[in-house]
Amino acid sequence: MSARGPPEAAASYAGGIRVFKRIADARRADGILRRTVPTTIAAESLSKAFSGAPLFRDLSFSASSGLVAIAGRNGSGKTTLLKILAGLARPTSGRVRLETDGARPLSTSEQRLAVGWAGPDLALYGEFTAIENLAFFRRAAGRPASEAELVRRLADVGLAEEAMRRRVEEYSTGMKQRLRIAFATLFDPPVLILDEPMVALDLDGRETVYRVIETARKRGTVLLASNDERDFAEPEQRVDLAGARRREA
Amino acid sequence: MSALARAWAVCAKDATQELRRKVAIVAVFFFAATALALVSFGIGPFGLRAEDRPPLLSALLWIILFFAAATGLPRAFVAEEETGTGLALRKTIPAVYVLAGKTLFNYILFLAMTAVTIPGFMILLEWRIGSFGALAAIMVAGGFGLAVVSTFLSALVARAGQRNVLFVLIAFPLVMPLLVSAIQATNQATNGQFPLDGIRILIAYDGAASCAAYMLAAVAWED
Amino acid sequence: MTKALKLLLLPYMGAVIAAAFLWPEPAKGFIGESSRIVFFHVPCAWAATLAFIVGAVYSALFLWKKNPWYDDVAVASIRIGLVFGVLTLITGSLFANIMWGTWWNWDPRESSYLLLVFLYGAYLFLRAAVEDPERRPRIAAAYALFAGVLMPFLTIVAPRVTASLHPQTVINPQGKILMDTPTRVVFFNGLAAFSGLFFWMLSIAARAERLGRRQVS
Repeated sequence: MSARGPPEAAASYAGGIRVFKRIADARRADGILRRTVPTTIAAESLSKAFSGAPLFRDLSFSASSGLVAIAGRNGSGKTTLLKILAGLARPTSGRVRLETDGARPLSTSEQRLAVGWAGPDLALYGEFTAIENLAFFRRAAGRPASEAELVRRLADVGLAEEAMRRRVEEYSTGMKQRLRIAFATLFDPPVLILDEPMVALDLDGRETVYRVIETARKRGTVLLASNDERDFAEPEQRVDLAGARRREA
Repeated sequence: MSALARAWAVCAKDATQELRRKVAIVAVFFFAATALALVSFGIGPFGLRAEDRPPLLSALLWIILFFAAATGLPRAFVAEEETGTGLALRKTIPAVYVLAGKTLFNYILFLAMTAVTIPGFMILLEWRIGSFGALAAIMVAGGFGLAVVSTFLSALVARAGQRNVLFVLIAFPLVMPLLVSAIQATNQATNGQFPLDGIRILIAYDGAASCAAYMLAAVAWED
Repeated sequence: MTKALKLLLLPYMGAVIAAAFLWPEPAKGFIGESSRIVFFHVPCAWAATLAFIVGAVYSALFLWKKNPWYDDVAVASIRIGLVFGVLTLITGSLFANIMWGTWWNWDPRESSYLLLVFLYGAYLFLRAAVEDPERRPRIAAAYALFAGVLMPFLTIVAPRVTASLHPQTVINPQGKILMDTPTRVVFFNGLAAFSGLFFWMLSIAARAERLGRRQVS
């Protein structure tokens, strides 16, 4: 894992990145992703094929911290790869390894909460308010949370207090996206997987997500898929799905 | 937090959701009511000879209960897939708790349905029950097996095509032994006997189905 | 070795079929020659049972080892089991028509066997309805095992509904084989021959499943 580049390097990125750095420096560290255990996520020669040609083949990488950029054109398998890494889909061959505290493999139940995931097809309960949604997932996962904590988490992703108490089915696309980010970070996962998190977000929403990513990459690993190169601020690693190759950034 | 509390969280979630959405619950009770009305209109209180009444009414009661259940119980997992919330559920909660919670909700729904259908049967069809205790025991034991099997099969069909037809098709041969035992036991209960034999089979069925569902929960629901 | 066994199977089957019609006397209490159906009806039922057991075992193996070959064997076995199951129903129905004058009379054994055939027909239907090839074998295996646990209830419950007209089975309350020597010899050789036939068919069908799967991917 290479160290992060000097802060000046940020200047070479597009405008969005500068906003990103500024917010990152002023991040609220006490908010989301507070306590994390060092965790390694490793893909070991993953392949996935849907009837026909393989989407990607023999893909391997490993990350314990920092930002991993997942790049590739539409249809190159970014979403599928991230779902496999999040334990939501199976690879055709290969496996995903999660370890902590010096090579101790995580148990299945630990894995479930150690990897946070949000993708475009993640939906939460429309009949419930944002707070009720998060409260349910915390309770059913065996980690109940106080309402105050949930309110803080939702405020961190920029949802207004009034909005948190409305049913999710009334939300705009952007508000739903913010709620997805809150869901992904709900258990302060050491590994955060975000699949196109900027979709449908306004400037403020994108800043919020940049902030989340900056916080998370300092405390653990962020795997980020995006079609916009500007979203990848000096990634420590880059996984290019064009031909299922991987190279160090 | 105990396993029971986690399963209960899922059950409470389902209950709140269904109460707010109302579609499923209304559909189940409406189906039961329609079928009941149809039967009582067709037969009427005196349309059957006295000696035919207990076996026929017992069979009719369970047919109505089964098909009403088949309209509502498979929603357990199917609804999660249709709204896309299945991913969030799978991401955070082990399949066993999800299955247990949903089974519990379906069980409560089934018992509520019987609590409405049985008085309807008594009023509209002059159904006289010999032993209420026996009938309650049959509903408690039979409903549980039905809830376990339907909920488990719901997880299996949730991500398949033609779910509703598929559900009835795969459920029918599996619940047949339960339905046959329940019908016979209900017949005996109508006549005032305590159907120990039938209830024993129902409880054995409940146990076997619960163990199998527990062991296979993750296979059925997770990826 | 296996090739020799396959070559031997045909003359063996032939001998069993010939013996079934020529050697034992028709059993007492049965109309005409109808009792001879036991040499075909029971081995069919036996082969179907064997196929469903193999299907369940390989489903469990698949879930355990995740080797797709086990799923190929499971589905091939259940398909063949269905063929034998339908043959059992047909031969039983022929016998029922001669003995009791009806093709079908909802005898508890008939109905429970019919449900068994429905059950595994539903298995194939379920497979067809699950589109994702990664998920299909898992869902199918889960159903096969779940069904395997609940299936015995069919046999417990069915005889309680009405008394059965079905002749005494080999496994009977007396714990005796109620057959004379020629009948017994032909009967058990029939079971062996049909078992051999089943395994031969299975080895072909399972490899066909594997070929089909490879062609898709």
